[in-house]
This record gives sequence, structure tokens and C-alpha cells, in this order.
Amino acid sequence: MKTKINIGEKSYEIEISEIRDRLIKIKVDDEEFIFFEDKSGKLNFWDKKDYPPLGEIEGKEIVCELFAEKEIKSPIAGVISNIFVKEGEEIQPGQKVLTLISMKMENEIIAESCGKIKKIKVKENQFINANDILIVLE
Amino acid sequence: MNLEFKIKKFKKISSTNKKAKDLAKKGISPWTVILAEEQSTGYGQEKRKWLSPKGGLYFSIILPKSKIEDLQTLTILSAFVVAKIIKKKFSLEPLIKLPNDVLLNQKKVAGILTENIIGKDVKLSVMGIGLNTNIEKFPKDLQDIATSLKIELGKEVDNKEILGQIIKRIKEQLKTISE
Repeated sequence: MKTKINIGEKSYEIEISEIRDRLIKIKVDDEEFIFFEDKSGKLNFWDKKDYPPLGEIEGKEIVCELFAEKEIKSPIAGVISNIFVKEGEEIQPGQKVLTLISMKMENEIIAESCGKIKKIKVKENQFINANDILIVLE
Repeated sequence: MNLEFKIKKFKKISSTNKKAKDLAKKGISPWTVILAEEQSTGYGQEKRKWLSPKGGLYFSIILPKSKIEDLQTLTILSAFVVAKIIKKKFSLEPLIKLPNDVLLNQKKVAGILTENIIGKDVKLSVMGIGLNTNIEKFPKDLQDIATSLKIELGKEVDNKEILGQIIKRIKEQLKTISE
């Protein structure tokens, strides 16, 4: 369904579509917003930053369609203490890929997209900087 | 300043950090504190065992989403918070072993472990604190490296009161950092 709305002087093109059952996409000009319907029937805005409404929309496939990343980068500097995945492995959003110790905090790094691991670029006990590429996805 | 918090109390669980992470994933609100009388597999850094018999104070705070730099700062400040309360309340002389242990007479009395789950940004954070309060005696292998407030003071302390003070101060600190 496509429509136009005017707010003040500005006109916006709105497109509403159902991606899949219980998952709705609203496109405002070029920006997309995703909403999902929870078990009680309430419509929720799905902020990609939220963790993890994944179970709510029962959909790893759905998530895969929405986010495809090429690599996982390190959010902070630290030392890799454990790696939980292997090259060639298919990973899912929310899956723990490694732990990173930084200022004695233990940080579990999770994947935010689906993909097959092409290359793991780090080793256990290696020091890494923020934004270093940890894992390359196919 | 709103310094309120909620407590979820358990008799015996594996680990307050683990429980806090599980509950945070399910969407429990920040500043909920998971408190246990005993932990069967309490742990510190790199999953090293933290002995957690009855009498001690073991809890984990579910923190609000924060910047990773702020969480690092908060972890360090929390050691100061714990040390300061021990010093002021009991006139003991604690020493901070940076970034996250507190010592009395060169023996460990408290430890702090912050754990984060991070994707592109911080998804959830919990801070676990183990404070040896009313532990009467440690097993032989720990007697030279661990102590408790009861051992140092020769009397029991009020766990509930200490807990409230620590959480309020930590909440204050995070507000200051993130502003």
C-alpha cells in the first residue's frame, strides 16, 4: 500500500508492506522502519539495536533477510580470550562468536547478522584494537 | 536524583551474573539487583571460581545500556565505592587492586566482574560484586589470600545495609559519568 502524507510544507511518500506474517515494513521516502506484532497482538517498533527481540518474531530467516553484514568488527580494544566459532560455520544473529577481555571486563561479542564464516582473522590471547576486523563473512 | 533499585532475592543459584544476564535478555529492567545467599559456581575474571558460602554478599546489578567507555569507568569506580564504604563504615584500611579487587591486609575481600554482551553496540551489561562479609572462616587453600569483614572486625555486619549503600553509590556514579 502506497500513500502520500503532507506535514506542513513537506510531502512524504509512505509505503506499507508485510514482509512476512507479523512483520511489517513501513517505508518513509527512503528510510525503512520495521514493526513486529508480539504474541498479544501489539505492534512494536523494532530497533535494530535492541537485544534480542529475535525470539519474539520467531524468525532467524526473517532477520537474515534484513541484515547482511560482511564482517564482524571489534567494538573495543582488548585481548581475545575465547573463540567459539570455526571457519566455514554458519552463524545466526545473537550467536556468541568470541569473548574479549578489556579493562578486566568480559565482553561477549555476538553476531548481528547471518552468514557463513569465511575467515577468522584473530587468535586467542591476541591483542586487538577497536574496529579491527575479527571475522569475515561470505 | 532517583537512586531506586529493585531486588530479586534467591537462596542459592549458580551465579548471580549468569542469572542477571539471563533475566536481562528477557527484558528485565535496569537497576534490578540479583541477590543470592549462596552461589554454587560463583566466578570472577576468566571464570575463576569465587567461593560463595552463606554469610557473604553476592549480587549482580543489571545496568542500563551505556557506552562501553562508561562501563569501563564504572567498573573502576565501583571498586572505589566498595572500598570507601568499608573504610567509612568500619574504619578499616582497604586497598584497591586495580581495576576490580578490594583487599584488606593484602587479602581479597571483594571482587567485581562486569560482563557485557556486544554486537555493534552494547546490548546488555551486568556488574557482579562479591563481598566477603560474614564469612567466618575460609578453607585452608584460601586462608592466605582471602578474608572477610567478620574476620577483620571480629563481628558480624549488616549485609542489607551495605548492599543498599553500594548500589546507590554506583547508580550515582553512572549518572555522573554518563552526563
